[in-house]
Amino acid sequence: MRVLGVQAWVASSSGPGRAAKQAALQHRRAFEKLLQKMQGLPAVLPTLPLELTVLYNALLFDLGSSDCIVEGEAEGIRQGLLRVLEAGGVSGPDLSTEELWQKVLQELPAEELRAPLHRLGVLQGVLWLAANRLGSIAGLLRFLSGAKDPVLSPCPGGENELLALLRAWQVPADEDTSPLVVQSAWDVREVLWTAAAFLQGLQELEAGNLPAALSLLQVAATGFCSKRVLAQIYICLGCCTQQMGKPQTALQHLKQALQLDFQCLAALSQAAMVYHQLGETDAELEALALLHEALDSPPPEAGSAAPGSLVRTELLVHPPALASLLRQPSPSEVKYLLAQRCFQAGRTAEAGEHYLDLLAVLQEGPRHQVPLHGQSALPRIPEVFLEAASALEQLGRHRDAIAVCEEVVNRMGDLTPETLRIDLSSWDGAEAGSPSPRPRSGLPRDILPQKKESLRCILWRAAAYLHQGWAWAGLADSKEAITQFTRCLNDLLRVQLVSADGLHVGEVAAGALPEAAVLQRIRLLALVGRGAQFLELGRDRDALMNFQYALQVSPGDLAAASHLLQTLWKLDRRQEAAVLWQKLQADSGQTEGQQEDQGRSFPLYLTLCPQPANLLLDGSLARGLQDYLRSSGQEP
Amino acid sequence: MAAGPRVDYLAGFCCPVGGLAAGRPRVLCHDGRIYLSNGSAFVYVYDQEGRLLQAVYRFPDQVWHVELLPLHRQLYILCAKTGIYCLSLDQQSRVTEAPTGDGDGDSKEADGPANVLPVDADACIFPDADLCAFTLLSNFIITLAQAQGKWWMELHELPAPSQEPPACRHISKVGFSTGAPAGGDGDAPASRFLPVLCCALAPGSGDGLWCSGGFILAEPLFSLLFGVDAAMLDSPMILGGFPDGQLCSVPLKALSAAADADTNATAGPDPPVKVLHHLEEPVVFIGALRTERREADEADDPPLPPGDADCVVAVGHYGKLVAIKAGRREEAPAPELREYYLRGPVLCAACSSGSRMYYSTHSDISAVDLECGSNASDSEDGDDTAAGVLPPVLAPASLSICSVVALSLSSRAAEGESELLALSAKGRLMTCDLCSPEEVHPVRLTPDKAGQRIKELLSGIGNVSERVSFLKKAVDHKNRALTCLNQVLDVSAALLSGQDGAKPITCTITAAWSRLLLRDTLSVSCMLENSSDHSLEQGWTLCVQLLAGTCALDEATADTGTTYTFPVEQLPPGGQREVTLPLGTAEDAKLELPLTVSCALFYSLREILDSGPDSLDDLFPDDSPLLSPDREGICLPLSECTIDMLQCLRVGEAAGPASAPDPVEAFLETAGVQAESNGTSGSNGLGDECLVPSAASIKVSSELLKSALKDFSAGAALSCATLRWLLAENTAAEALSSQDVAEVRGLAPDGGEVQLLIREVAMNDLCPAGPIQAVEILIQSSSLADLCGVHHAVIGRIQQALVLEQAAQGSGPPDLRMQYLRQIQANHETLLKEAQALRDRLCLGDEASATAEKLLSIYQQLRNPSLVLL
Repeated sequence: MRVLGVQAWVASSSGPGRAAKQAALQHRRAFEKLLQKMQGLPAVLPTLPLELTVLYNALLFDLGSSDCIVEGEAEGIRQGLLRVLEAGGVSGPDLSTEELWQKVLQELPAEELRAPLHRLGVLQGVLWLAANRLGSIAGLLRFLSGAKDPVLSPCPGGENELLALLRAWQVPADEDTSPLVVQSAWDVREVLWTAAAFLQGLQELEAGNLPAALSLLQVAATGFCSKRVLAQIYICLGCCTQQMGKPQTALQHLKQALQLDFQCLAALSQAAMVYHQLGETDAELEALALLHEALDSPPPEAGSAAPGSLVRTELLVHPPALASLLRQPSPSEVKYLLAQRCFQAGRTAEAGEHYLDLLAVLQEGPRHQVPLHGQSALPRIPEVFLEAASALEQLGRHRDAIAVCEEVVNRMGDLTPETLRIDLSSWDGAEAGSPSPRPRSGLPRDILPQKKESLRCILWRAAAYLHQGWAWAGLADSKEAITQFTRCLNDLLRVQLVSADGLHVGEVAAGALPEAAVLQRIRLLALVGRGAQFLELGRDRDALMNFQYALQVSPGDLAAASHLLQTLWKLDRRQEAAVLWQKLQADSGQTEGQQEDQGRSFPLYLTLCPQPANLLLDGSLARGLQDYLRSSGQEP
Repeated sequence: MAAGPRVDYLAGFCCPVGGLAAGRPRVLCHDGRIYLSNGSAFVYVYDQEGRLLQAVYRFPDQVWHVELLPLHRQLYILCAKTGIYCLSLDQQSRVTEAPTGDGDGDSKEADGPANVLPVDADACIFPDADLCAFTLLSNFIITLAQAQGKWWMELHELPAPSQEPPACRHISKVGFSTGAPAGGDGDAPASRFLPVLCCALAPGSGDGLWCSGGFILAEPLFSLLFGVDAAMLDSPMILGGFPDGQLCSVPLKALSAAADADTNATAGPDPPVKVLHHLEEPVVFIGALRTERREADEADDPPLPPGDADCVVAVGHYGKLVAIKAGRREEAPAPELREYYLRGPVLCAACSSGSRMYYSTHSDISAVDLECGSNASDSEDGDDTAAGVLPPVLAPASLSICSVVALSLSSRAAEGESELLALSAKGRLMTCDLCSPEEVHPVRLTPDKAGQRIKELLSGIGNVSERVSFLKKAVDHKNRALTCLNQVLDVSAALLSGQDGAKPITCTITAAWSRLLLRDTLSVSCMLENSSDHSLEQGWTLCVQLLAGTCALDEATADTGTTYTFPVEQLPPGGQREVTLPLGTAEDAKLELPLTVSCALFYSLREILDSGPDSLDDLFPDDSPLLSPDREGICLPLSECTIDMLQCLRVGEAAGPASAPDPVEAFLETAGVQAESNGTSGSNGLGDECLVPSAASIKVSSELLKSALKDFSAGAALSCATLRWLLAENTAAEALSSQDVAEVRGLAPDGGEVQLLIREVAMNDLCPAGPIQAVEILIQSSSLADLCGVHHAVIGRIQQALVLEQAAQGSGPPDLRMQYLRQIQANHETLLKEAQALRDRLCLGDEASATAEKLLSIYQQLRNPSLVLL
């Protein structure tokens, strides 16, 4: 019989992964054939134990050689149960599988059938677990462990009932006399127990039931599974503890996961996230760098998880929640995170290098995938370019920054409309990607996202011009800088934000449309930048006008105000300067805080701009103003 | 003669009887060689210069798609249900000489086994049974598979030519579902139309990448169509046209979905997959054109680099053409989309490098020109509005080449002329020179040119003759269909008009026992007799429906009918055809009597329409509700007959061990019966094992019988005549008609013995006028089921014959003693009530056996009324 086959399998399973898989496929076919032959004969009790064992082995190979569980296996078990009923002279073809089990176990209490039926029961549990039918498993276990006392001893302390049932289950021991089995039922029961704990833990985690999730996952971690699965369990534990507000414990768990399976890169990316929350930039950057390195190196050949075992935990637990927890970031995402964090932490030199690397990766062939979906860490691609330009600009690599911005300008060329008129009253439903925009003012629905995209394109191009202006200013080419700032402002003029009553709106729009706030910010920065360049050229009146516009755009802006103050003083309009200075000093306390807040909500490429020295602290100007005030008798 | 295109036949390849179907066949041309697959398991390599077949490769299954990778000199072949194979083009030198059907148009290429190279499994670089389509991009392969109700697009890196073993490196994968679920669980709908894939490259990225069938798409269309991000990544885009009509794009550099994209059950594809348009018919072709002339561009825009396309076109099977171009609107730039309707069904299409697209239908290849604003510059509207707008209507120009199933533009660019490669449905490979009409200039004929001209004319004639044969075939087919319909109508009219009298076509149904395969088998034979003037042609089928259990006793099983169909090949007037259906053997005893047999003639209309050369594709789309193949047709009922116990009685055979063929078998049989009755106890175990023979009797007045049985009582005693009448339809009882017997023993189909005894009795108590002469029909059987069956059958006969007879005669019954009758009736009513009560108790399940016993005796009493039928 297949005894030889079983022994051959046990011998061959220690071989390398691919060969073992081939062997498993061969055995599967052989067992299926044998099973077909046996099922061709009428079912009689004496041969049933052998037949059920063959079925068990066949199903094991079936499970072991496929990557997911399909209907076929469930049908196999059903067929086996029907055969048992047939042998007993009972019919039941239209019963559900649960009812079949019940009938088989109640009506045929033959002792010689007990062991094979229990074995089949373990496999049934495996299939039901994969289908997330935990209730059915518990029901089956109650029948298998004897229907006499349906209520098991009540489990104290909230110990999971299913796990307790599984634990208490007396799986028949495999003596050598019985037909050989490829994986003992005891083994499979252990796998089932671990998977049940893991799966329930994940479900609790998803439901936000953190303490329950924690205890279940901890139980799962004591179970029988491969290192890879254990690492996954530890990642889930880490995620759970982090959500419970214990980042240090979370880090411990993630470290354990990495120790178990270094290929478990999700642990590394989770750890980076935890470090980020803890504000430990160094550690975070280190984790990200490691992650990037690991992703860059080719993955090693995936070895077989546990030789000899066909039913594995991996096969049973794959809910979507786990997939998103274990999502392995792509190298480009990690590179971007590295660049962004460095940039935010003020490590501009590193950030610049990372951004340049990232831009190179983005231009490479399809081998390097760039995730563009919603879960990706990457922002829109033009923003990546603008951030890179911003970092390069900070580094003083003005020419490089100009080149990067030029790319954005060229790409947007065909996409920016001459004028973009947006009726703000139609936006209130459409903002923030709400699925049902209400086209109140006769605007067709599908125009709205398109208009929004056009608006973004205009903003990106304007921001690119802005950065170019700064870069030219850094190169001390004021004329070119002024040209770029002017282009930026002209671009912004293409946008007409109109409210319901047909008036231009500024601040009002910001709430409804985040892009409107960005637009105002770019306008402010461009005006201030252009004004400063006019000052450089000595065209003080033009500069003054720019600063005044800037203050109109953003009345509280400190940079604009101090520039204006300086210009007024320079133009010898001391009275106005003094009034402004007093006003500035009066509300300097509040504006500081406000500016910080505002800065946070803007895109990264606009937050770190070349700030003019705070003129309020400039000794000479302040002294001059104070002198003036004292002399004119306005000193309070 | 019109300046038609020059058509040149190269070779003929084998094709199936109905011609090649569109979709799978493919012709590719590279470097003077033509690579051809005709939808079979073969791929041919043909040398265009030398005009000979260089190699034939045989694959394990149908070839669905072929792509060429000149970079590595490799051919990639998608084989149905197997996967993608890779062949090195350098291997083909192994085949040196091969005969071709060169010049001789009618010779079908014989696949001489000597020249066929079977492709071995080692060459399969990408085994996957679910694959539907693929495309190549330099050293990347993009595959599309259908599994679990979704489409799966995967990106793999091709193995280097030297790599051993050749295996693709998986890079990324995305699953998405187009609007309608792909046929629920099965992948059946995919069988006819395959998805179409092609690759659109970003401008400027063309030098490093090579793709077959792909194109470079100029800005701003690329950005507008695929978004800023894809454009800034310079990502190649995969365009997919699906059988449900969706046109989707996927950026190749972002070919991955969010991890839990499966969970949100929102309709529509997942983020990286963008639906560009929905054609609402299967997409058969995606291509790109250059619709704006370069000179015209110079004024305001920088000229497009040569070869970049500025318009994407997609063609649906039923003729919808969608062209997408960058719109020139002031506000919110967006792609402009225009739909055109061509005459379908479109079999295949190809795009030129200019603004022309060629498409093939069953009857012609047509060219359409999508050049933008060609005359717009002279119109007064000004350039801004008219230029760059797609033409409002298309004017297809015919090339007069019919039923081409695969098209491609050959790349003989060196000679400065473009050439269309075409494979016709008959398997003929041809080239067609494309020169626009204005370029044709009259030339003086030199002997050289004259030879050329003659050659052209000859191939023109060949082309015309092929077209004629196609049209002729279509006409023939229609004529044949009309003839068939005419015959069908004749037959129907004959049958329907002869309603009152005898039908001209009859079907006689008889039941008989015969010995078949060592078993006694009861079979029904239907004799179809055509006495009309019309012959039944091919296409008619005789449908015999068996309907079991029409008796009121068993209403639950009343609708378990089985229909058998027998094709009537040809039945000339006066012809007969007999079909025999075995109902069951004596042993299996599963026969349920009475059985209603009804016969009908059926003619499937699908039959007429299906036999055409190009089938029904054009008339009815796949899912057309007009015709469903199994139901639509003409059905003419012929006759109906009920087969009951009396017809199935095996008269003259005594039961007992001696009659069984083998004692062991008999023993096993009884054992089996017992086991079965144990197993299904409660259903019909009631009284089966009753040892005392039960009896039932029916009394009929002699007067009545005499008048009813005039035909049977010729000279014989009434009792004998009655028996003959009862068993008249029983073929086994023919012997009785010559003898005078009033008693007969027989075997029921399940083997139980039944005795029929007829005797004349006088009923004294009934009538005050004196005794009434009556005939008593006594039925005895050890099996209650058989008894009931026979009883039921006898009653049926009497009802049928006598009641009608009496009603016709109108003679009243003699005076009866009413009180006596009332008493009998009262007795019976109490018996009935008792029976009812017992049955209720039986249902409750108390003392089942005792109750059943009592019930049995009551039923027996009920079956023996002391009444007579008058």
